[in-house]
Amino acid sequence: MTHPIRSWLHRAALLVLAALVSLPGMHDARAHGERAQEPYLRTRTVQFYDVQFDRAKIAVNEEFTITGRFRLMQDWPDAVSLPDTVYMSAYSPGRVITRVESYVNEVPARQSFADLQPGRDYAFRLVLKGRVPGSHHIHPMLSVKGSGPLVGPGVWIDIGGSRADFRHEVRTMTGETIDNLENYGVSRAIGWYGVWLGLAALWLAFWLVRPLLIPRWIVLNKGREDLLVSRRDLIAGIALGITVIGLTLGGYAYAKKSYPYVVPLQAGTSKVEPLPDQPSTAQVKVIDATYDVPGRAMRIKARITNTGTEPLHILEFTTANLRFINREAPGADKAVLPGAPTETVARGGLSLSDASPVAPGDTREVTLEASDVLWELERLVSFLTDVDSKFGGLLFFVSSAGERQHVEIGGPILPTFTRL
Amino acid sequence: MSIAQSSDAPASAGDVVSGSYSPVVQAAGLSPAAARTSRLFDLLVVIAVVLLFTGAIHLHVMLLAGDWDMFIDWKDRQYWPLVMPVVMVMFPAALQAVFWSYFRLPIGATVGAVCLMLAVSITRPMQFMLWTDYPLNLVLPAQMIAGALVMDVMLLIFRNALFTAIFGGFAFAFLFYPSNYIILAPYYVPAAHQGMMASMADLIGYVYPRSATPEYIRIIERGTLRTFGDSASWVSALFSGFICIFMHYGWWKLGMLMSRTTFLPNNRKVMALMGIKSERSSQAQG
Repeated sequence: MTHPIRSWLHRAALLVLAALVSLPGMHDARAHGERAQEPYLRTRTVQFYDVQFDRAKIAVNEEFTITGRFRLMQDWPDAVSLPDTVYMSAYSPGRVITRVESYVNEVPARQSFADLQPGRDYAFRLVLKGRVPGSHHIHPMLSVKGSGPLVGPGVWIDIGGSRADFRHEVRTMTGETIDNLENYGVSRAIGWYGVWLGLAALWLAFWLVRPLLIPRWIVLNKGREDLLVSRRDLIAGIALGITVIGLTLGGYAYAKKSYPYVVPLQAGTSKVEPLPDQPSTAQVKVIDATYDVPGRAMRIKARITNTGTEPLHILEFTTANLRFINREAPGADKAVLPGAPTETVARGGLSLSDASPVAPGDTREVTLEASDVLWELERLVSFLTDVDSKFGGLLFFVSSAGERQHVEIGGPILPTFTRL
Repeated sequence: MSIAQSSDAPASAGDVVSGSYSPVVQAAGLSPAAARTSRLFDLLVVIAVVLLFTGAIHLHVMLLAGDWDMFIDWKDRQYWPLVMPVVMVMFPAALQAVFWSYFRLPIGATVGAVCLMLAVSITRPMQFMLWTDYPLNLVLPAQMIAGALVMDVMLLIFRNALFTAIFGGFAFAFLFYPSNYIILAPYYVPAAHQGMMASMADLIGYVYPRSATPEYIRIIERGTLRTFGDSASWVSALFSGFICIFMHYGWWKLGMLMSRTTFLPNNRKVMALMGIKSERSSQAQG
């Protein structure tokens, strides 16, 4: 019979072997886990739209800009914190890019913002610079305290050149010009680490060169402590202590003299007003919504009222960065802006039970069908397992004159496991 | 057979000169061969201690202080000088207890500090720079070697756990801020960015994005300690010193507790725990 320990050893050896065999098949992890986020976070918190990247191919040190807008949903989930503290940034796999400037509604976004308002829209602009060559997936991202990072649509940015050429020049308020920020202060730090490590090494060597554990333990048990710590050791220790304290206080005074103008770390939040409220002439009431699991389709029955003077076409339904565009609407061919991410634009588009425009003063019930495999690819179908099975999104309308407006929609959603 | 009886070979002149047959070895009653074997044992223990405590202290500090040590733009005047020494003093205090109580070696704190430095010297370049493209100056660690050396010297002077806690534990924390400020002073130089003032540390933190670490996560000078103006860090250092007195004493006791020798009786229950079946049950199954 096999000994239990031997059996465990066999299992451990098999695991190690399996790990080694699978190593050659491993690939770089290039995604950032955005698809792992709970669907209710992605569909009911922040809706990014009009996102554009001005360049998709740059060299190290060259800049590119991401612009766009986001809507903070009125029907914010109860499970997460309201957007009382947020931070606007870019999402990248490591520090392959650097931030040059960032703005929300043209207010500098180096620090966090406080008290953003649900149900309102904000514009952002991120100026970024290439640092590490390669093809990198970059997104805009809004972090909400208590909710986590909420990621907008991304594109692949190709960065060419050599990493060694990267420079980030900074001029301090004391007049010093720093050639490259990422090397700033490094040699000084390494030098001082060396000084402290050197002193520690001397102290350790002072004791470790002597007979160490067994002899000292025996001698201590024999009551001969006098042999283990001598007067010479005490004097050496006191000398070391004085040296360390002197070096610390002297070094501190020297640092104070070398850098007379210093400031504490800057923190705190900024305030930013939302974009002007856009009066909408479309009123939408969701009657019911279903998600057809085998058909990978969301169907929304809505009552739409046009309170304006122009006929309105349904242009687009967007949620969690997925875009379903009604190809028959005027201007649909221009709905995807130049430089906009296209990975999450549904090929099938948006189907309507009645594609004709809603006339001024008219009220109509329309069924929208957003059908695409992207629901699965983006792992959005698990919202059916949420504690509050609801959906959210933006519905865009366009007038015959090409004027666009959007309305927030949402409500309960029912799964259907067979075609109805 | 005792260690002293393990070899009858006389001490050679070389043994005496090299120190392996010092008064300590003589008083211990070790023969030269036993002394040489004990030296090999020393080497093995040193290697084991370095490997074990390099990992353990690093894990401990990263779990309890984490971002405060990882990132340059977390090292503020209030919480950083307070949190870091309180976290860092724990293992050095326990190591001091073991090294001093059993071997009269006043090096425990220094061993702990060097092990942590060794660990961050490996992880910052390998994990942060090579793997995830951080610049080194964004992830510069704090060092506790200055405080640890003084704490060991205090133990050597007082030869007493309580007084080492009072004076050594306090000095450990109080020296943390000035001994690290020497390294970090350039990162508090101001720069203008987008019409706002930023320290160089803030700017480095901004320029190199950390996707999962938004700016608001930082805990920078919350509360009213800034009433003390530029002295906030010294007030923090004093308070940290006060807490470290108790931390040191507690972890000294914990070190003593964890290094106590105990023996498990070799009975069936213990054998079963080890996965070893007793003869009787093996026969019954057979």
